[in-house]
Amino acid sequence: MGARAASRQWSNALFVAPYLIAYLCLLIFPLVSGMGLSLFKADLFGGREFVGLENFARLFKDTVFLQSVANTFYFVLLTVPPLTVIPLFLALLLNRSDRTAAIFRGVFFSSSVLSVTIVTLIWRMILMTEGGLAANIRHAMGFDAIPFLSDPNLVMISMAIITVWWCLGLPMMLYLSALQQVPQDIYEAAELDNSGWFRTLWSITLPALSRTVILVAIFQCVLQFQLFGQPQLITQGGPNGASRPIVLFIFEVGFRRWDIGYAAAASQILFGIILLATLIQYFVTSRKQVSS
Amino acid sequence: MKKLLLAVALLALGSCSEKSEVTEISVQRIFGECRANVPKGQPPLRNPDGECEIVTQILDDFEKRNPDIRLKVNIAPWPGYDQLSAQYAAGDPPDVVTMHMSVMPDFVSRGLIEPLDADFAKVGLDVNNFTPAARNGVTVKGHVYGMPFDNWTQLWHINMGLFQKAGLVRDGQPILPHSPDELLAQARQFKQATGLPYLLQPTDNERAAFTRNIYTYLLDQNAVFFPDNKHIRLDTPEARRIVELFRQIYAEGLMAPAQDYPAAMAAFLNGQGGICMVGTWMIGAFEAEANTPGRPLSAGYAVRPYPMLYGGKQTAYVDGHAWVMPRRERTPEQRAAVIRLMKFLQQRDYDWSRTGHLPTQADIARSPQYLGLPHRDGIVALATVGQTLPAGVERQIAIQDIIGDEMASAITGHKPVAQALKDAEHRVNDLLFHVL
Amino acid sequence: MSHASHKSLRNTLVLVTLIVLGFIMLIPLIWTVLLSLKANGELMRSTANAFHGPYTLENYIDILNNSSVFRWLMNSVIVSGLTTLGVLVLSSLAGYGFARLDFPGRDKLFLFVLFGLAIPEQAVIITRHQLFTALHLHNSYPGLILPGLAAPFGVFLMTQYFRAIPKELDEAALLDNASRFQVFWKVLLPLTLPAQATLGIFTFLASWNEYWWPLISATRSEMFTLTVGLAASQINFAQTSGLGYLMTQAVFAATPILVVYIIFQKYIVKAVSGAAAR
Repeated sequence: MGARAASRQWSNALFVAPYLIAYLCLLIFPLVSGMGLSLFKADLFGGREFVGLENFARLFKDTVFLQSVANTFYFVLLTVPPLTVIPLFLALLLNRSDRTAAIFRGVFFSSSVLSVTIVTLIWRMILMTEGGLAANIRHAMGFDAIPFLSDPNLVMISMAIITVWWCLGLPMMLYLSALQQVPQDIYEAAELDNSGWFRTLWSITLPALSRTVILVAIFQCVLQFQLFGQPQLITQGGPNGASRPIVLFIFEVGFRRWDIGYAAAASQILFGIILLATLIQYFVTSRKQVSS
Repeated sequence: MKKLLLAVALLALGSCSEKSEVTEISVQRIFGECRANVPKGQPPLRNPDGECEIVTQILDDFEKRNPDIRLKVNIAPWPGYDQLSAQYAAGDPPDVVTMHMSVMPDFVSRGLIEPLDADFAKVGLDVNNFTPAARNGVTVKGHVYGMPFDNWTQLWHINMGLFQKAGLVRDGQPILPHSPDELLAQARQFKQATGLPYLLQPTDNERAAFTRNIYTYLLDQNAVFFPDNKHIRLDTPEARRIVELFRQIYAEGLMAPAQDYPAAMAAFLNGQGGICMVGTWMIGAFEAEANTPGRPLSAGYAVRPYPMLYGGKQTAYVDGHAWVMPRRERTPEQRAAVIRLMKFLQQRDYDWSRTGHLPTQADIARSPQYLGLPHRDGIVALATVGQTLPAGVERQIAIQDIIGDEMASAITGHKPVAQALKDAEHRVNDLLFHVL
Repeated sequence: MSHASHKSLRNTLVLVTLIVLGFIMLIPLIWTVLLSLKANGELMRSTANAFHGPYTLENYIDILNNSSVFRWLMNSVIVSGLTTLGVLVLSSLAGYGFARLDFPGRDKLFLFVLFGLAIPEQAVIITRHQLFTALHLHNSYPGLILPGLAAPFGVFLMTQYFRAIPKELDEAALLDNASRFQVFWKVLLPLTLPAQATLGIFTFLASWNEYWWPLISATRSEMFTLTVGLAASQINFAQTSGLGYLMTQAVFAATPILVVYIIFQKYIVKAVSGAAAR
């Protein structure tokens, strides 16, 4: 009977079939037609003309686009590490069943319930050089305000701060739910062994969470490459293009200029970048897992 | 007697058929939702001069006076074009929709909205009564494509209390510059006397304001910046002159730095600057503040068109809202209903002008009723001399975005002025080149 | 003795850290609520006015007086609720399939799904709109729900989670002659409750706050979701002249999510001692 679990059967695929149908129709099909669209000079209202790879050639010469690619990578580097580590730290502190922990879990999740419109409105009021909360605090301490949103060197860092604040709820919950899978008896054994808290963390908890760390890192990477609403609503990509990410570029070109073929081409490049980043992370980390 | 009976019967029949034949048309508009302030069939309870309140009341009135027409009103998030484009793509645009004049060329070039000259003539909607700015705004290739609702433009909103303190008031009128040098001199004088910036204008998260300033001062110099519909000319001495002037104003701290739109408005309300460069739509809010005792603006508030700095005749870049009819399948009754609505909107021009926007009807612009509204006599000329961009130029919003993006970089000192203008020119021409 | 005091010192330290961090997290939220309780005109002058009275419920009353708001709220509940349900069902089935069962091409298929994780919304939104036009799905509930079901994140999450459950559990059950579906339903699914809860909250949240797709698919007022309806209700330059109302919208729109969070969250951390009933 044990062979039944391992047996290779077509019928087993029935479990994944419903999802795959949705996936193919609603994601892959539009993606492929989008790839087709990227080969056209196309207008939102139907006019189109085949241009081959011209849109891509145009992109690689477009300094605005190239700057947006650089900005996006910089933003991912700024946000993914903290969004992988800070929620882990919080989850470890909050993996308890008492009321205090429950309240704090709610507190750290609370920012996630806000839509991007509101998140940006609130942070604008905190970061504005004139009259912002941070500026008022700096003035009270006798310093000059920091131009969080109007200095090209600071603006992405500000976006990163906002994003980390906004997004840490979900990874924290992912870690918490994964912690439920760590067998409790191991902890009890460690307790008996009188191992220190840190040693228990290092040799038991973290290895047990490695799968989730990978999941969080990959997912955050995917998510943060798609940065859009924060700069769109707070800076419109300024100052001097320093906060314009790829998706904002796509939005401006597609929805504001109606040049949808060009926008589709930029989307394909973004897709390629994310795919590459995801696969690299997946293979590097899964190899590590196999070897360990 | 027989005749009378027949007449009664016909009347009964007529009213009966009228009742059963209610024509429904879909009306899509921006300006928000405020039913809470305007209960059906009542005048507004609050904020009676708000855009949303006025348009809600006008549409209610239309339904009340035209029981044979039912309006299905759909409110779209500002500016409305993402949704409208999607509706076109899905083959389901509304029967009548609000549209910026600057956007109309895009929809005309694709044949997406209908010319209305013949329909207007049929119902006696007199296009000769449109103000010049309005008429130009809705006319593309010689045809009228919309019923102009308003024109709006940026203005100089002035804190007269601070102007007095800076010695910039004569005979109760603000002293305004007539040249770039005068502008700098007066701004410095203002800053010395008050310690405050002369100009308030959003600089962060802002594009439109920069572009409108440039357009206005290019018009002031009679510069031809659209030699044809597919090209812009910005790498010119005229444009450099303007941007360098604003660059200097910014660098000398004569303009408040690092403010976005809400911050700039709050700064002006709190008396933290002399002139707020913002649109017609703020007149009401500022005027209300000026009439509240003890507020920074209560010492005096004035509104003026942008003063010309380069010797040109008074003008300004204007845009406006219009009502247009998307091309779609509709019955003759529906078509007639749309035109009737447009005629009604024309008749209610005065009501809409209470928002602060410029009227589009010449008789209203001349009327004592309109001119009796606060500050209107000072700006009404713009309804005549204001200019939109050439009607054949497509993608005007995108162009405004690009120019504003580059101007913000230049004026705040992140990019050399000449470079920014060169880049803006290149980006706009590239955009227009790729328009199908 | 020294061990115990060490432990209580550690607990105090943890608590202090949490309070400091929690406070930082909450400042913007408290700020939102305070702003929502102020008259719009006062906020136009200065947002600092929110630190003191008078406070008013005017903005809340205005929202409730908008006759369409309950219709939009209902649309959002239906759309987000059914999307969440659909994602949980599809992801659990697929996760179990990928983690536990073997079938030809399984690993390649899983990679193929992983590939979908990299697809940005912008790469598909226009062509998906064309597809839904052809299928006459705009301005309908299926039109709003279906796109959410294709997101691969849930499959990825559930697969990882199923993989971490010891294999002996289902093998034992299979030996007891339970069918494959019974094993999935009775033995494994209950163990995945924490992941289900996380995925459920996340999906509901994402669907609730979705803006672009409902904006361009549900273009008739009676099919608006709450996000789009509230956006449409905003007057121009709402950040200046309607800030309090905007913040009230935020509080109003976030409340249902908080309710969902409270319902689901107790499954995320069960009494740790009895964790996952092993």
